[in-house]
Amino acid sequence: MSWGDFLVFYVCVLAVILACRCVPLLALKGRELSPRVSEALGLIPPAAFAALVANDLFDPAGGLSWRQLAAAGAVVVVARRTGSLIWCALVGMAAYALLTLVP
Amino acid sequence: MVARSDLGCALRAALPVMLGYVTIGIPCGVMAAEVGIGPIAAFVVSATFYSGAGQFMMASLALAGTPLASMIASVALVSTRQVLYSAALSPYVARAPRPLAALFAATVTDESFGVNLERFVEDDSWTPARATLVNLLSMFSWALANALGALVGPALAIPTTIMSFAMTSIFVCLLVSRRWSAVTVAVVATSALTVVALKALGLGSLSVLLGAVAGVCAGLVAGARGRGEARA
Repeated sequence: MSWGDFLVFYVCVLAVILACRCVPLLALKGRELSPRVSEALGLIPPAAFAALVANDLFDPAGGLSWRQLAAAGAVVVVARRTGSLIWCALVGMAAYALLTLVP
Repeated sequence: MVARSDLGCALRAALPVMLGYVTIGIPCGVMAAEVGIGPIAAFVVSATFYSGAGQFMMASLALAGTPLASMIASVALVSTRQVLYSAALSPYVARAPRPLAALFAATVTDESFGVNLERFVEDDSWTPARATLVNLLSMFSWALANALGALVGPALAIPTTIMSFAMTSIFVCLLVSRRWSAVTVAVVATSALTVVALKALGLGSLSVLLGAVAGVCAGLVAGARGRGEARA
């Protein structure tokens, strides 16, 4: 990619990213929200995290990997017991690394 | 002026995300180097885009020789889920000054969204200033790791799939640690199944956004049904 192309790419993508990140927050900031909108906003976190986990675990070419599912299962146990993000990240990586050694 | 106590609290909250970003930021920088992006440019791009999925996609599309317009559309599409985070966080910065709210909004990622939202809900002392510090500390670790990766380049052979599982684990933890109800089950099941279906249909870039929107809709329906049954 030439520097000219890269600059066009950079400016266009940055504009979209900043608009997606800033516009809704600044537009809704300080406004009285209806109960229905507040309820919908409260549902975003579980919806987004479930979508991100599914996106990471499902590969359209290979389907669901038992190694990733088993490692995610180990993370669920650690999350339930400790609630610690850092322990979950470390156990998840270690479990997945070990499972990749299984033929 | 940032109080030392705010910085300490923010650092403790951001640390897991920062460590995760270092582990995947270095391979992301290595990929950036493969398409000719040097350490300084990698730092600037990472600090401004601040998007792991977008930056990995940028490098792989450039390596594949994808046309410029397709690259812009693909990387922009994976960022659209930020619309949902931005809307969900708005009630918590209602009284923050506009410049601080804008800086906070501009530096939200999947992970910092989860960390900050958890604190906003559970900790009365959590402020927009602390939340913005979490975002900035995480951003700095991400940008620095990318610059380091671009500096060492392909000399560093890192198994990206294992490193990126740190982020998956963080999402699993943020999901599992929430209070669960019948509505949560409906939201999570619908989101996950929609993502799988959309990815199977080839809609990879939009699957997270559309999956999350489908989950929110399912949750609203389940909530309304629950209230209707309670009244009957």
